Amino acid sequence: MSKPALTSLHQALRKSFQCVENNQKLWKSVLAECTPLLSSLGNLAEQSRALSNVQISNTPLRLFPDLEGRLRFKLLQATDTVLGKLNDKMTSLQSVRDAISNQVCAVFQLYEQNTDSLGLPVVTERSATAPSVTDMLEWLQDAERHYRHQFLRRKTLLQTLRADNLSLLESAPERWKSLESPTADDNITDTLCKVSFFMESE
Amino acid sequence: MTSVRLMSADPSDRGSQRCRLGPGLMSVLGLSVGSPLLVSLPGGSCLCTAWPRPDLAEGFLQMDLKCSSPSLIFNSCKLLNLDPSQLTPVPCLKLKGIKINVVVQSADFKKHTAPRIVHELVKDMLKGVFVHEKHVINLEDFDTEIKYVVVKNVSPDSAVSGLITSKTGVEIVGVQTVQHYKSLLQDQHAVPLGGLEEVNALLREMLELPLFYPGTLSSLGVSCPRGVLLVGPPGVGKTLLVRRVVGEVGASLVVARGPEVVGPRPGESEEMLRALFERARAAAEEGPCVLFLDELDSLCPRRTSSAAPENRLVAQLLTLMDGMNKSNRFLIIGSTNRPDSLDPALRRPGRFDREVVIGAPTLQQRKAILSVLCARMPTCPSVDMTELAQRTNGYVGADLSALCREAAMHAIREDSKCCLQGSGEQVVGMKHFQEALKSVSPSCLRSSLGRTDLSPVSWEQIGGLDEVKLKLRQSIEWPMRYPEAFAHLGLRRPRGVLLYGPPGCAKTTLVRAAATSSHCVFLSVSGADLYSSYVGDSEKALAQLFRQARACAPCILFLDEIDSLIGSRSDSRTPNSVQTRLLSVLLNEMDGIGLKMVERRGTARILQAEGAEENHTQEQLDCQDVCNKDVMIVAATNRPDCLDSALLRPGRLDHIIYVPPPDQQARLAILQVCTKSMPVGADVCLEELAAKTELYSGADLENLCKEAALLALQEENMEASVIKYTYFLQSLSKTSPSITAQQIRTFYQTPPR
Repeated sequence: MSKPALTSLHQALRKSFQCVENNQKLWKSVLAECTPLLSSLGNLAEQSRALSNVQISNTPLRLFPDLEGRLRFKLLQATDTVLGKLNDKMTSLQSVRDAISNQVCAVFQLYEQNTDSLGLPVVTERSATAPSVTDMLEWLQDAERHYRHQFLRRKTLLQTLRADNLSLLESAPERWKSLESPTADDNITDTLCKVSFFMESE
Repeated sequence: MTSVRLMSADPSDRGSQRCRLGPGLMSVLGLSVGSPLLVSLPGGSCLCTAWPRPDLAEGFLQMDLKCSSPSLIFNSCKLLNLDPSQLTPVPCLKLKGIKINVVVQSADFKKHTAPRIVHELVKDMLKGVFVHEKHVINLEDFDTEIKYVVVKNVSPDSAVSGLITSKTGVEIVGVQTVQHYKSLLQDQHAVPLGGLEEVNALLREMLELPLFYPGTLSSLGVSCPRGVLLVGPPGVGKTLLVRRVVGEVGASLVVARGPEVVGPRPGESEEMLRALFERARAAAEEGPCVLFLDELDSLCPRRTSSAAPENRLVAQLLTLMDGMNKSNRFLIIGSTNRPDSLDPALRRPGRFDREVVIGAPTLQQRKAILSVLCARMPTCPSVDMTELAQRTNGYVGADLSALCREAAMHAIREDSKCCLQGSGEQVVGMKHFQEALKSVSPSCLRSSLGRTDLSPVSWEQIGGLDEVKLKLRQSIEWPMRYPEAFAHLGLRRPRGVLLYGPPGCAKTTLVRAAATSSHCVFLSVSGADLYSSYVGDSEKALAQLFRQARACAPCILFLDEIDSLIGSRSDSRTPNSVQTRLLSVLLNEMDGIGLKMVERRGTARILQAEGAEENHTQEQLDCQDVCNKDVMIVAATNRPDCLDSALLRPGRLDHIIYVPPPDQQARLAILQVCTKSMPVGADVCLEELAAKTELYSGADLENLCKEAALLALQEENMEASVIKYTYFLQSLSKTSPSITAQQIRTFYQTPPR
């Protein structure tokens, strides 16, 4: 009866959790690479601010022709480079998100195909070593939602940056940092611990 | 099946669109994990996905309001019990396309973010969400500037709800701010408004014209009006009208309240005012917007020469209003009940272009207001709105609503008194309204000078004087009762009536009876009300009295002893006394060149109705509105020779009625009235008494009867059962008439005109 369906679903769940575990590490490493980029972005913003505040004609540097324009061009170029690098990082973050999303989607599809054979009592049954199927599905969905949220927030932050609004640029590193939610990260780690017996019971 | 209890959602489920139920209920409804479910709640519905509770308990329901009707998003659900029939599984379709409105937090974000980025973000956010037509998707859990998405419609057309996948096409129809969206939601349930249709239409036009025909105005080379000043007495519904119009047009409203704008530190008030204009400007970018300055007189008083802080505030408002350029498409509406105390610089075209006067409601308007107010009250069919409207002269909208509330309270009180079980349906009847009329007085008369609470006197209580009574009825009662007949014959109601005659001949009582029978407002002034030690104060008080009287017309203004109150110019002893100045005020008020602007009532109606007066086919009510908009002056004096001749000409005091001392027959009638409540002996012959009391006035006769009764008590030691004829004769010998033949002769010889 429901045995083969349940086994295949379990298999898929194991695979998904494996995927989440791998991608969690990847996600963290990419984020770690982003931090210095963001701080340099903030630094560039500060430099631009300083440039706007100073009157170059009042300093000894006035001998250099068109200094302000050149400096500004330099700064903008540097900002562009940093943003380009950040964009690359976002792409890898997006791939992490997509990997998890696709995996979770596949599990749900598998479950939906087998809803007839998998009654509610079966999917809500828990044991000492394995959580119930619904619990695991829920955790997977939570994890997927977390990564989607994280990715979207970071993307929104980067997308709404404007060259003409320096305060936005300046505050970007702090805002980037505030987007981290350790509790949600911990929840995913917790989940992975909770399913560790289930993962090993292959 | 047992009902389930609705509880607030678990924080960990925030933004997950999950609906937690017991597994038993899920299998009864045929739901599998994650299948969509529509929950109907009072006031709306919510689409969510079914999940078993972690503890597998039955009988509870917790849901995340990710996708729900607009009304549920902002009003949190209270604890309530749901019947399982309110939960309906819906088919899980993948949508092809969806049209949405995006609601963002700030106008700044809306302005600076490219549509492509918004589209990309929204599409990412909506992926994997089940949506329902006309629902709102809550995206607050993403913590970005994009707060909500309003689903306009979904395709394929056959579906009302479904799942958004990566293949679903998302089309953004518009972007709004949260504030604008919320104000639109709130305005959907506004209260109806009675009797202000004309002003309503005017304001609507000003708001909608530049919006619907932006090209027309610019091709004409004119800028559209941007400021309206609403002027009217308190309680006519100025604030309510603005809110109503704003709701109807779907504009957003920015309200400035005096105390909120004024700050303690110098410069703070101006800054707040600027911020307010900035807010209105931001709101105007999304659609029509109204900046409403309520109680403008407190915000912008007339500038004084001293360096008062208000001067700067006024100056700031003026410059802000001038600084509005064409791109700022918002309308400024100011409202005040004291237009005279506004700074004159505000009241010029370019600032407040139009001034709309909302006067005290006319009869028709009162009827409209009453029917709106009573629409939601269970009223008895016997309640006649027309009669109520006739009885409520001078009542403004606020008074009428107080009246209805009071009537309802009477009905409730009576209901709880009669049947303690309180089961019967409460119906508000005419008698409750009549009770309420006694306790609610019109607010424009609250602080009035001459408001008198007179005890009702009927015509029958005055003996004799039939001719005078008829004349009084003609001039006071008839125009009010039969306006159409007056209009038919081209008659105008008289402006004023003068009663003169020797003292004690019931002049005052006659006026009282006239006021009682005509049901109109009755104001009576004496010298004590008017005279003041300050120069000009008395004149001001009299003018104010007339203004109030006109506000609640038809109205009778009674000036007793007018000879002492108002002087005569011919008597040149004191050419510039208070009396002569009062006289000039009175002459002006009675037959002046016109009304002040602010006293206009029922804006267009009067003109319209006056034009229709020619063809005699108008409604009676219209007729009453038009014919009875004046104040009737009734004056009484016993020294007509002291009056100024200008006062006595037709057009001012038209009818001059001599109240003669009673002749024999009248005396008999007076005696009969006086002795009605007295136990008179069988031997008393009132005819003989009447014959013996030549030159006695009505007051004298009343005194005579009183004396006789006292004598009876004195003689018979408090045990008198009847008053014998002898007592009457005794008292007759004691008293003497107060009128002399000489006096009467002067009245006859020198008629006042």
